[in-house]
Amino acid sequence: MSAVLDVREIRMTFRNGDELTEVLKGIDLALEPGELAALLGASGSGKSTLLSIVGLLLRPTTGTITIAGQRVEGFSDTESALFRNQRLGFIFQFHHLLPDFTATENVAFPAAAPAGGITPSMRQRARELLARVGLSDRMDFPARRLSGGQKQRVAIARALMNKPDLVLADEPTGSLDRIAAEQVLDLMREVNREDGATFLICTHDEHVAARCTRRITLQDGHVEGNAQAESISK
Amino acid sequence: MFALSVARRYLFSNPSQTALLIAGVALGVTAFVFITALIQGLAIRLTDDVTANSAHVSLEPLTRVARVLPSPDADVESVAVVSTFQRRQIRAWASTVELLRSQSSVLAISPQISGSAFLVKGEAVAPVAVTAIDPSGLDAISPISTELVSGDANLGADGILIGVRLAENLGLSAGQPVLFRTDRGIDRLLTVRGVFQTGLQSLDERVAYLSIQTARPLFRLPEGVTNIEIKLIDPNSAREFAAFLHEATGLRATSWQEKNASLEGALTAQAQTGTLIQLFSLISVLIGIASALSLSANRRRGEIGIMRAFGVSRRFIAAVFVWQGLLIGMVGAGIGCLSGFALCAWLASLTKPDGTMALPIAPAEGGYVAVFLLTTLGAVLASVIPARSAARLDPLEAIQQ
Ligand SMILES: Nc1ncnc2c1ncn2[C@@H]1O[C@H](COP(=O)(O)OP(=O)(O)OP(=O)(O)O)[C@@H](O)[C@H]1O
Ligand SMILES: [Mg+2]
Repeated sequence: MSAVLDVREIRMTFRNGDELTEVLKGIDLALEPGELAALLGASGSGKSTLLSIVGLLLRPTTGTITIAGQRVEGFSDTESALFRNQRLGFIFQFHHLLPDFTATENVAFPAAAPAGGITPSMRQRARELLARVGLSDRMDFPARRLSGGQKQRVAIARALMNKPDLVLADEPTGSLDRIAAEQVLDLMREVNREDGATFLICTHDEHVAARCTRRITLQDGHVEGNAQAESISK
Repeated sequence: MFALSVARRYLFSNPSQTALLIAGVALGVTAFVFITALIQGLAIRLTDDVTANSAHVSLEPLTRVARVLPSPDADVESVAVVSTFQRRQIRAWASTVELLRSQSSVLAISPQISGSAFLVKGEAVAPVAVTAIDPSGLDAISPISTELVSGDANLGADGILIGVRLAENLGLSAGQPVLFRTDRGIDRLLTVRGVFQTGLQSLDERVAYLSIQTARPLFRLPEGVTNIEIKLIDPNSAREFAAFLHEATGLRATSWQEKNASLEGALTAQAQTGTLIQLFSLISVLIGIASALSLSANRRRGEIGIMRAFGVSRRFIAAVFVWQGLLIGMVGAGIGCLSGFALCAWLASLTKPDGTMALPIAPAEGGYVAVFLLTTLGAVLASVIPARSAARLDPLEAIQQ
């Protein structure tokens, strides 16, 4: 089976004036379809940076990225946007729903914007997804009236709208309380199991990591396990 | 079109702020309409005042100038001097009147003898500008008979109409005799038939009307006339018509605009001032739109960032803001045109105690189409700046904030 995500030798150096900070020092990472992977590491270890690079929101200094068989690191802005729209799903710590739109409209948005409007079939799918995340009774609520946990569940449904190959989540439970976090996590596990959607989830939370099918830890700009593997093989 | 419905949603999401913004645009447009209608109204009133009481085109013989005549002796140039005592006249005036009658643009024709004279009453002497006309065409150029304050307009063979100032100066009233002395030194006793008041001091103090038949012997013009005054259906066509008449008759044809060059200058200066005010009201409207949309784009950074993250194009984001500008501009301009018209119509309905308009405003001339199009177009242009900055937002930066 070919990998959904295959990154090789990713390096990322930030420049602040004359000061250079090398955050990622050669990341190699592959995700198989259906994996639910936790990306762990100390604060400042570069988790969000790596996720942004994989999500085509940030260009790495060097390295190659293959998603669903396509080399993407050389994409133009427009190609990246189109690719994000069709192949990737995003969940952020702060949901960033569109507060003036209903839950259904928020979920349908990634499909509606490029198509020029919400079609009945988009609405239908959005409603199914909302039912899936347990919000059947909130479909026509304006997003601003939803609770934090409800908003994050809408954000998950939105990330799934265009049937992405890979869902990238940055601290998806970071701003939720224990119970809401639990629900969101269960939901992601369920979608992962039932749809075979592949997840890469950045988290600090051991609790989250424990429920994932795989743990990837960043340390000193490397993937920890890999670094070990390298040192063992030497 | 999805961008349009997003734009609408954004505008409706904060109704009071949107209403305030639209009110600002409408206010600017109202100011524009008001100033346009006022300036147009002033121009119309001034033009009307001038064209209502004077001829639109005047025909006179060409001014005689000293001419150089060819001389048999090539070294000597002789100058033909035209006698200033020879009165300039239009001899073939009947055929000219005939030509004018055949023109559909002509409203009224008045062949006249104009000259100067003195009115003598006892010790008092006053110079007058005489207009001698066919009594049946007394009102052809200026509605004298409606402006009489005493007596009547029946000139007869020895009648004269004088202005109210002149009557006061000479202590004359209707029915009294007055000695009329022409610049030819001919005297005749005439009777004041009526006294008129036009409101224009120069007319009320200096002008006298008599019958052309009475005037002929007095000015020694048995056949000709000195000038033909013409009123047109459309005063604005006077220039072209004067040019046509000059071509056709060889006479000097002067339009009312030429005679009132200072009025034209004043109207132009007034129009320029108006343009400046219009420009400022438009600019302030556009700055208002640009700044309001910039604030909105800034407040919605997070949303814009997430939209960009899930692959919405830059063009879509820009379109959302341009649509907002267009909607605000159109609605604001529409409301502004309506309220501007209402304001102007109300001002136009206000009258002074004497029944005339308090403000010379022309509600129909508010430049509505122009201001609507300019505001709408300007609003689109004003929204381009916030639209571009929103579209250029780096999604990652916007999300991480
Ligand atoms: N645009 C940038 N310019 C300079 N340095 C940056 C930039 N973005 C991130 N960094 C640096 O890169 C490092 C990694 O940041 P990143 O946000 O990826 O960490 P993280 O692992 O997600 O941390 P946390 O768990 O606190 O979210 C940090 O030291 C940060 O200061
Ligand atoms: Mg982070």
